Amino acid sequence: MADIVGLTIDDKEVQAPEGMNLIDAAELAGVHIPNLCYLKGMKGIGACRLCLIEIEGLKAPMIACNTKVKEGMVINTKTEKVLEIRKFVIDLILSMHPLDCMTCTKAGVCRLQQYAYDFGIKESSFTRKRFGYPADEANPFIKRDPEYCIICGKCVHICKAQGTSVLDFMGRGVEAKVITANDRPLQESGCTFCGSCVDVCPVNALLEADRWRKGREWEYEKVNSVCLLCGNGCEITVSTKEGSIQKINAGAAEGSAERYICAYGRFGFDCIEAETRLTHPMKRINGELKETTWEDALRTVADKLKRSGKDVGFISVAGIVNEDALVLKKFVKDVVKTENVNTTMSLYADSDSLRKSHTADIDDADLVFLVGLSPSQRERILPALDAAIRKKVNRGLKLVVINSSEAKIAEASTISLKGDEVSNLKAIVRVLIDKGFKADKEIESSVKDAEVSEDIEKAASLFAEAKEPLIFSSPSLFWASANISLLKGKIISVALESNARGVALMGLTTEGKTYKEMVGTAESKEQSAQSGVKVLYAVGEVPLNKRPDGIDFLIVQNSHLTELAQQADVILPSATFLESAGTIIDYMGRLKYLPQIIEPQGASKSHRDIFIHLSKIIGSPLKRPAEAEVKKATRVKTKLSFSPFVKKEGFDISPSELIDSINASVINGSRLLWLKEIERAMAV
Amino acid sequence: MKVEEIDVAEQMGEVGRILREYDRKKGILIHALLAIQEDHGYLPEDVLRKLSKKLDLPLAEIYSVASFYKQFHFTPRGRKVVRVCLGTACYVRGAKKVLSTLEERFNIKVGETTEDLAMTLETVGCIGCCGLAPVATVNEDVVGEIGLKKLDRLIKTIG
Repeated sequence: MADIVGLTIDDKEVQAPEGMNLIDAAELAGVHIPNLCYLKGMKGIGACRLCLIEIEGLKAPMIACNTKVKEGMVINTKTEKVLEIRKFVIDLILSMHPLDCMTCTKAGVCRLQQYAYDFGIKESSFTRKRFGYPADEANPFIKRDPEYCIICGKCVHICKAQGTSVLDFMGRGVEAKVITANDRPLQESGCTFCGSCVDVCPVNALLEADRWRKGREWEYEKVNSVCLLCGNGCEITVSTKEGSIQKINAGAAEGSAERYICAYGRFGFDCIEAETRLTHPMKRINGELKETTWEDALRTVADKLKRSGKDVGFISVAGIVNEDALVLKKFVKDVVKTENVNTTMSLYADSDSLRKSHTADIDDADLVFLVGLSPSQRERILPALDAAIRKKVNRGLKLVVINSSEAKIAEASTISLKGDEVSNLKAIVRVLIDKGFKADKEIESSVKDAEVSEDIEKAASLFAEAKEPLIFSSPSLFWASANISLLKGKIISVALESNARGVALMGLTTEGKTYKEMVGTAESKEQSAQSGVKVLYAVGEVPLNKRPDGIDFLIVQNSHLTELAQQADVILPSATFLESAGTIIDYMGRLKYLPQIIEPQGASKSHRDIFIHLSKIIGSPLKRPAEAEVKKATRVKTKLSFSPFVKKEGFDISPSELIDSINASVINGSRLLWLKEIERAMAV
Repeated sequence: MKVEEIDVAEQMGEVGRILREYDRKKGILIHALLAIQEDHGYLPEDVLRKLSKKLDLPLAEIYSVASFYKQFHFTPRGRKVVRVCLGTACYVRGAKKVLSTLEERFNIKVGETTEDLAMTLETVGCIGCCGLAPVATVNEDVVGEIGLKKLDRLIKTIG
């Protein structure tokens, strides 16, 4: 823990941790120091000159964003001198800013508007100067309008910090402008459309492209939730108006490295009202799918399940909430009475690695070992992990990448260890034991032959020096990596779906037939193979396009009409994650709560409500799971012990293919389709 | 100079040995930009793209650095760069007329280049030979006391 220092801000006594800047310290005292360019969690750059304050004993005003607290400091944030400077700055900025607050989408949340109001500036006392730079409106996600830009640089800094680096300043002085390389439209600049720049823009220069006259901030209802589209399970803030979603922003705490969401999470919500959205149950009659009532559809399904018993197989995605997972498990075991249930998690992880992972927070870490993982914002494989690590590296985190294949994130690493992961892990443990770390005899004997290189020595030294080392490992390398965490630090097995860890903890793991057995072990997507069950019940958007051979009856329970659903005998429409409440355990082991944000479309229902309804018809009714039941299931001892240094086989699915496959309806039913087509065209 | 042939370590000399690799690469940027401009007369995008890969610097950052300096150009330059002086003395002695005549004859505006890349037309503050006003520079040469005849000759030499 950092030492605490005492100082006085505007006559208030404040205790702040050493190294904190004055803007954050003032916030602790409930004092807001005006600023336009400061990004919490990042080094202050002192560009806007609004945060000038006076420190007693010093002649000239100082910038609060880049001045650190000191014991006994006495600070005045509202002296006549600094107020005059601030007013002057706002006056100057306004001379180059449109005065159209009455139709501006950002009205109400615009920092410039707020400060102009505070100083009572109606219009600038300087001659108006405008350059007439055109807006970039060539994409359906983000509108960039340089006319509103105040050159605070927040977008440039966030873009650089997270490693995308497509925005920068062009020119200098009053003519300066934020551009992409050679001032190209965003889609030609390598932009990933994560929208982090939109989140930080204090004015109307960066905005969601579809916001014009669709409502302003004060008209929105804001709810915090979690995105379930990939293994990162990012926190989101959803804005709704009259029961429909208007926009989604990053929801993690300001200043946290995890404050990030990708284009899927931010713009994928269009799919809720896509043409392919299922709003009614459907049933195959004379070879054709026809709309039907819930009553009829459920009765047909119940009948089939009752008669088929052990010949039924359930496959599910691991992106369902805990409550759905618990009910599904009971439904399978106690109602349908079969063992055949498995999730897509089994395609990339063994459930034990997820259950035994520690609970951690990347914001606390000072060293990260990234083992066998290639997170990528561009490919949207765990993009938030990629962004968080890069941001932390900018704040001093040391990164060691251990990967046998090319990992893009290695460019941000302190040390990148290529070659076989297991040998490298062994070698690191060996060096650590030589350095005096205590380890079991078993570990010692299994690493004694490991070959040590200079880079291995360096990596081990970093580990030895680190206070809070954190290991992120691919599930297949979890047990080998865990041997390092026995010496110090924490380890997380990183799954590809949002609630893989929760699903594992709820006990939805391989017991009967495996996922691969149930869908047939087809080599390619087009080729179908013999399934091990007669009746297949698919929950969620499983990565399966073709009805497996040998299936007599196929039930698809999903929110959208997928290719698989078109081949189903009965389709049960389910609610999306924004339409039903629940909890997940994210990859870091944190219980996250998802409230119901909007009403489900049409007659769609949550997964668990469908199972509960079915259980009643079958005659052994299930109850909704209690909160305590979920909490109880999450309590697991994570005591790890030595395991052999091996890479587990059988988890070789391509992460990007899986993620795109389980999100196919999100992508195809939203403006993300445009992005996918552009990306495909650029790749050629 | 080919971008691929830039030897980061060598060009930075003694200092390069002290700097970390990343800083070394960053430090050589302006050096490299100058060399590219010398070769091509301007900074072509495809060459900057290669430079971005070579130096591990974001392309946007390279454009940012280059655009800070008036010396770097992003579009092809004319074979002759004509800079008409608009300093006080020249202004008084009819520099505006010189400029507008050149604009009309070549059908370009200040800052632009003719389509056949014969000439780029620019203005300059003062070049310190007010006694010869009005003056203009053509590449490195100074043309002074520009009257109608001299202007005609100047236009003819450009083509």
